[in-house]
Amino acid sequence: MSDLSGTPDQVGAIRAMIARHKRWDMIFSMIGLVAMLVGVITLLALFLDLVLDGYGRLTYDFFTSFPSRHAAEAGILSAWVGTTLVMLVTAFAGVPLGVAAAIYLEEYAPRNWMTDLIEINVTNLAGVPSIVYGLLALGLFVYQLNLGQSILAAGLTLALLILPVVIVATREAIRAVPGAIREAAYAVGATKWQTVAHHVLPYSTAGILTGVIIGMARAIGETAPIITIGALTFIAFLPPSPVTATPPFVSFEWLMAPFTVLPIQMFSWVSRPQAAFLENAAATGVVIIVMTLAMNAVAIWLRYRFRKRIKW
Amino acid sequence: MEPLYTHISQQYNAELEDIRSKVLQMGGLVEQQIEQAINALVRGDTALGEAVIMDDTKVNKLEVTIDEECSQIIARRQPAASDLRLVMAVIKTITDLERIGDEAEKIARMAVRLAGEERPKNNYAEIQALGNHVRQMVHDALDAFARLDVEAAVRVAREDIKIDHKYEGALRQLITFMMEDPRTISRSLNVIWAARALERIGDHARNICEYIIYLVRGRDVRHTSLEQIEKEILGREKTH
Amino acid sequence: MKPEIQPAVRKAKPAYNSAMPPRAEPDTVASGALPQTAARPVLKAQAKNLNFYYGGTVQALKNINLDLAEKQVTALIGPSGCGKSTFLRCFNRMHDLYPGNRYEGEILIHPDNINILGKNVDPIEVRMRISMVFQKANPFPKSIYENVAYGLRVRDVKRRGHLDDKVEEALRGAALWDEVKDRLPDLAFNLSGGQQQRLCIARALATDPEILLFDEPTSALDPIATASIEELIAELKQKITILIVTHNMQQAARVSDYTAFMHLGELVEFGDTNTIFTNPSNKRTEDYITGRYG
Repeated sequence: MSDLSGTPDQVGAIRAMIARHKRWDMIFSMIGLVAMLVGVITLLALFLDLVLDGYGRLTYDFFTSFPSRHAAEAGILSAWVGTTLVMLVTAFAGVPLGVAAAIYLEEYAPRNWMTDLIEINVTNLAGVPSIVYGLLALGLFVYQLNLGQSILAAGLTLALLILPVVIVATREAIRAVPGAIREAAYAVGATKWQTVAHHVLPYSTAGILTGVIIGMARAIGETAPIITIGALTFIAFLPPSPVTATPPFVSFEWLMAPFTVLPIQMFSWVSRPQAAFLENAAATGVVIIVMTLAMNAVAIWLRYRFRKRIKW
Repeated sequence: MEPLYTHISQQYNAELEDIRSKVLQMGGLVEQQIEQAINALVRGDTALGEAVIMDDTKVNKLEVTIDEECSQIIARRQPAASDLRLVMAVIKTITDLERIGDEAEKIARMAVRLAGEERPKNNYAEIQALGNHVRQMVHDALDAFARLDVEAAVRVAREDIKIDHKYEGALRQLITFMMEDPRTISRSLNVIWAARALERIGDHARNICEYIIYLVRGRDVRHTSLEQIEKEILGREKTH
Repeated sequence: MKPEIQPAVRKAKPAYNSAMPPRAEPDTVASGALPQTAARPVLKAQAKNLNFYYGGTVQALKNINLDLAEKQVTALIGPSGCGKSTFLRCFNRMHDLYPGNRYEGEILIHPDNINILGKNVDPIEVRMRISMVFQKANPFPKSIYENVAYGLRVRDVKRRGHLDDKVEEALRGAALWDEVKDRLPDLAFNLSGGQQQRLCIARALATDPEILLFDEPTSALDPIATASIEELIAELKQKITILIVTHNMQQAARVSDYTAFMHLGELVEFGDTNTIFTNPSNKRTEDYITGRYG
């Protein structure tokens, strides 16, 4: 190492070297900026294109009318109701299953080769093409269990789809809880379940919710499995209401009803030759995107709220 | 006890070594004072006596210096176990060394006074004998301190009893002289003060030996009988 | 005045004979028995021939025999990796949380003479009698009240009035009540480091443990917080038996009644603190205490 005694020559040489290194700094930050912009601008352009095409159709009537052969009168009422109901089933089926599985894998399962095998498979499941899920659901839910082409079948299929995402997200969230907190709980005399229920789960809620909502945001847009199990493309009626006028005031008939969802409606309109239907499709696309963005926003907000208490 | 220079902190090592060597330095000085004071008295050398009296300030200065170093070590290093005992032993030893220095100064004063008087027939033989014994005892005590030799310390402590006997013998002799010839009273009294100072030096040397035992064995043997000490340290009964 | 670093050769007058006589090494066998003094302390716990193996194979503790005196503070000191934390965590079966660990030997708790390492003894039961405070304060991300009350909730204590009383008692015992009595619903994380550690002590106290284990409780704290926790320990020992692991020797000297020195998984020396720090009998102990270790 040369003697940095600070003569003007040496100082100048050092400054030149630093300037050279900083130039690379700047070059790379420019490259990164350009790369980011390319991605963002492309997406924005596509979205803007959709909006421009379809915004004319985004009226109150659009949201409250059934599909029809006349493009101008067609609406997405049955589609978004169907989407909502299917998402409900997905959430109720997928989340408890996924969270429980993750807790078992993380807290209770012994560390042997079998557990490792299960872990690897769970993570790989996230990469299985969704149409394969559709095929599975067709065979199992629709025919074997005789659920028919219903909301229940669709919900369960999508629940299977998002299961790996929920499991992985829950496991990450559980792992993020520091061992010191667990040891503190055990040291006070808690059992394993008490530690999990009173500490590990509450503190991982943020992570779990984030995973759930991201999974659901993906499920909203899944078309292939729904088509496979037989969602209809033209439905001019709504499933029976869950709330009834007669006791017991809650009905589950809607679970077995035929249905359609937004992506399918959009797909069906895109396949029509008339240009007007394309506008409808664009409008539906906008609705789907907005719903997805809204769900992600909710995920971020919930995460923020739950993270406020945690300081690790 | 192992040598002290194995602390992880070199500076700490150096500090402990320093107080040890300063104590030995002070010991050497004090020993020299004793020797010269005795010589001054026995030979009637006034100049030597004056020199001893003046040099006592050096002894005192050393005491102050070492004391300050010790308190700094305590404040900064929080010594424990053998290091703590070393610092405690050093603090006590320098007190006794300083007192020995004072006693030597007293002997020198007596020397100056006696120089002007008529010399006795035995040329202060009793002082010479007692003085040699005492000087040897002090030398051995400091030797034991340097080597941290507990058994030597016990042996040296026993010498104090012999010195006490010798002192009593000298006292009886001087009293006899005084009774025989009252004109020698004034001179004899001065000799008695000098002998007494020598006996006190023996007591201080014994104290130093007790501190050595404390340092090495961790056992505080002050105010314990010599028989008890010998039984514990040397592990055998010594017939008196 | 900085002492001059003297070179090896001494300039002083009579060079005293400094050749050290050879010293016979005393052959000491470490006994963890309480020293035989006139006032024989009551035993709270005894470790007997305790061996511990991480993962079943790596031996971390070798044949430890140690007596724990009741309502006294016993300190464990030793260099890093000597096994003192491992030994401490045997007392509340913390090792059971991680698979594969194996105990050999026993730890008896008095007066009932139960071996807490026994296979038929539930670790949860052990942890209900023996509490622990950890090195880094680890309060739950809950309110101050809930932190202290958690131990009681785990024991199915539900009545609000009773909970309130116990929480207050524990916070007083940890010298924290006055500082937090007006903000019990506040998040525990808003307290300072020293306060958080005292909160953890309160949490451990709330369940009236018989033995309180401290694992280097002040190593992450500033000197003032450290001093206040040491003060707290001095008060607590009147009611509870305390076992504290510390790497700060002066803390062990200040705080404890008995000190055990451990090295490479063995108990090297055990005795009352005064003796250990003024005149230890084992050379390894002496070396460690005086900083000659190495």
